[in-house]
Amino acid sequence: MSGSVRVKDISKRPDEVLSPVSLQDLVPLPPPYDRLEDQPQWKEISDAARAGLVCNLDGVIATNLPQPKNEAEEREYVDRFVEGLRKLFQKENNWTFLEPLTLSLEYCVKCQTCNDACPVFVGSGGNDIYRPTYRSEVWRRLVKKYVTPGGKLLSRFTEGEIDLNWTAITRLYELCYRCTLCRRCAQACPIGIDNGLITHELRKLFSQELGWAPRELHEKGTVLQLAVGSSTGMNPEVVKDNIEFIDEDTTEETGMPVHSPWDKEGADVLLIHNAGEILAWPENPAAFAIILNAAGVDWTLASDEVGYDGVNYGLFYDDMQLARIALRHVQAAKKLKVRKIVMGECGHQHKAMMTIADRILTGDMHVHRESCLPLLEDIVFSGKIKFDPTKNDFPVTLHDPCNITRNLGIVEPQRRILRYLCPQFREMTPHGVDNYCCGGGSGFAVMSGNNFADWRVSVGGRIKFKQILDAFADQPGPEVKKYLCAPCSNCKGQFRDMLQYYGALEKSGITYGGLVELIVNAMVDVKEPFIKWEMH
Amino acid sequence: MPGVILVVTTYVLLVVFLVGFVARTVRLARLPVHLRWELAPIPHEKGKGHYGGSYLEELDWWTKPREKSLVAELRYMLLEIVFLKAVFEHNRRLWWFSFPFHFGLYVLVAVAAVVLLAAAGAAVGWGAAAPAVRAGVTGAAGLGYALGAIGALGLLVKRALEPGLRDFTSPAARFNLVLLLTVFGTGIGAVATADYATSLPGYLGAVLTANLAVTVPPIVAAHVLVTCVFLAYLPFTTMMHFVAKYFTYHEVRWNDEPMMPGSRMEKEVERLLAQPVTWAGPHLHADGKKNWVDIATEEVGK
Repeated sequence: MSGSVRVKDISKRPDEVLSPVSLQDLVPLPPPYDRLEDQPQWKEISDAARAGLVCNLDGVIATNLPQPKNEAEEREYVDRFVEGLRKLFQKENNWTFLEPLTLSLEYCVKCQTCNDACPVFVGSGGNDIYRPTYRSEVWRRLVKKYVTPGGKLLSRFTEGEIDLNWTAITRLYELCYRCTLCRRCAQACPIGIDNGLITHELRKLFSQELGWAPRELHEKGTVLQLAVGSSTGMNPEVVKDNIEFIDEDTTEETGMPVHSPWDKEGADVLLIHNAGEILAWPENPAAFAIILNAAGVDWTLASDEVGYDGVNYGLFYDDMQLARIALRHVQAAKKLKVRKIVMGECGHQHKAMMTIADRILTGDMHVHRESCLPLLEDIVFSGKIKFDPTKNDFPVTLHDPCNITRNLGIVEPQRRILRYLCPQFREMTPHGVDNYCCGGGSGFAVMSGNNFADWRVSVGGRIKFKQILDAFADQPGPEVKKYLCAPCSNCKGQFRDMLQYYGALEKSGITYGGLVELIVNAMVDVKEPFIKWEMH
Repeated sequence: MPGVILVVTTYVLLVVFLVGFVARTVRLARLPVHLRWELAPIPHEKGKGHYGGSYLEELDWWTKPREKSLVAELRYMLLEIVFLKAVFEHNRRLWWFSFPFHFGLYVLVAVAAVVLLAAAGAAVGWGAAAPAVRAGVTGAAGLGYALGAIGALGLLVKRALEPGLRDFTSPAARFNLVLLLTVFGTGIGAVATADYATSLPGYLGAVLTANLAVTVPPIVAAHVLVTCVFLAYLPFTTMMHFVAKYFTYHEVRWNDEPMMPGSRMEKEVERLLAQPVTWAGPHLHADGKKNWVDIATEEVGK
């Protein structure tokens, strides 16, 4: 397969799939997941979808982009794309990433050193279009030819051949959603070129200039969050009801009084969860409440719209949507006059609030922000709560969310907790800042239309699944229950789908959950096991 | 080639190099502050850099002193620059050619510095360098040219034969390698057939003193000419990545400086946020008059 699809092919043969994904080519998994015939078939794309949507990249549809109505519409979008390319390099329109983008445009020597660092490329068995450099090179050639002065004359010599048309931009758009922005490729680059950044900037171009973005991230993501308060659709009344229900339910189950305070003015900590936890993994906010109350932390939740949902999908595709949501988070904190905002177990929330938005929070928008992980570490080792690590005496491994480890450098607090509370804790290989993405990063975990869920589980998350199995290779059977600790909502969404897809609970005894659940499970005062060995 | 043409050509090409080099570097240095985009590991994080940790691991990190280790950062840079650590770890097959190629260039830069010093010394009357120094210069130059040539030839072949590299190798990239191969080839010729350690400082002395009557062996003249052509061409190519690397590492990957109230960065960002935005995405409602703050703070979706 390697070398069979060329960069210039992106604009050619619109009626053919450029580089189909083949299950036979994927990196093999260890038994009992090694037999292709035992694995679920991919969802068939309907005839209507095939006819009406752009589907000529790899036979997968992530973006649901409609086919153009006519040639005039095609031309209009192509022209707007070129305009967007220009704006990426204008200080007034893209000062936010102009320096890193300029560096990544002009100085890549195309040595392909990054290729083998990419779990998608490797997991796919080396599909050319999944090279981190493939989409970057398409973009680079287009910029050089259509935006740089004299480009039409010189770019064939300086960069290589490329043509711009509807086929090229729509395949490129779809291809932007085959990279999880994990930035493992950037770590490997000797020069510091960042193909993840290029993908990010291309996604921005499509959203900010053409108005193209996956529905799950835009209409059902940032737009919904700004309109009603949460990308889950929960408004303040609903979220308060749900938390009240979780508190009552947890009190009943654990025998410990659980209460989550709302809108407490002057609290030390404003805790913002990814609101998806409240609906999909209620044990996570419940565990936070148990721990913070037991440790005597002065904390609160905020019921202002957006203030109770740390999700910020703008991080993945649109600077303005990112800024709008980040400002709403800060406004909630300012209104309550809290000392600091603490991020719940959500990786992209960490990155959006703690680093990406950091430099736009000027003047009175400045507020202290930190990860829940150092706070949890401080609590666990403070002596304020009694623990019995033998309650966690089962194999545990840790998934490092890219946005928390590779992007923020928060590596050890979660490990110190696990080493203390989980006698059978073991690392994956590699781990920490060298981890592999779960395959659900950059918004993928909430994108499941057509056959994209099959792709993200079996291609995007393939290397991660292999890593998980390897970490538990000493006790592979289902008779030993094992815990995959993933302190990130989006990663958990991916693991839920991945473990269900392969039947990993039944075949290998693997379930997953957050870090706080393990902490509560080890608390002496919590009499009943907090972790339920079930797929949820 | 008459000395006058060679010396004048050298001047012209060196001026092009200097102007191009400075212009491109200044352009990078003047790019505006960007949003944080750091990437672990950040080696200057004292006590944490070795495992990729950062100050964000600390509870109430803003109350703690920022401790940085310049030594750890220098060690990381040394391994990366001199030994191409990232290529060694992630692309070993390429490293066998990329390392000698780059190391050869480093040796030649060091040789050039010594030769230039010798030329300047001779020009101010220090006399000729000692025989041992001349022998050392000749030997080091020969080593540098040989390593560079092996590396360049290997990279050319790999880029021509390996499917994953071939499609990404532009005509310009091939030309760059051929040009450098010519530099190394003529250098080897000069070392092998001329009194390199005498003739090259002699020529550079003539350049420094504007001695237009200088004569040099043809192979040295060819080497000087092709080297100067390469230098003049260099600032306009991706080969300037040795400068870009400073910015990609120090200004992007390792730039973890938080926004502090009242800082210079805050003033700069406030100026950038006041710029009008013209993105055409319908959800942004940008009209070319609204600035970043207007758009980010407007009520939407109600």
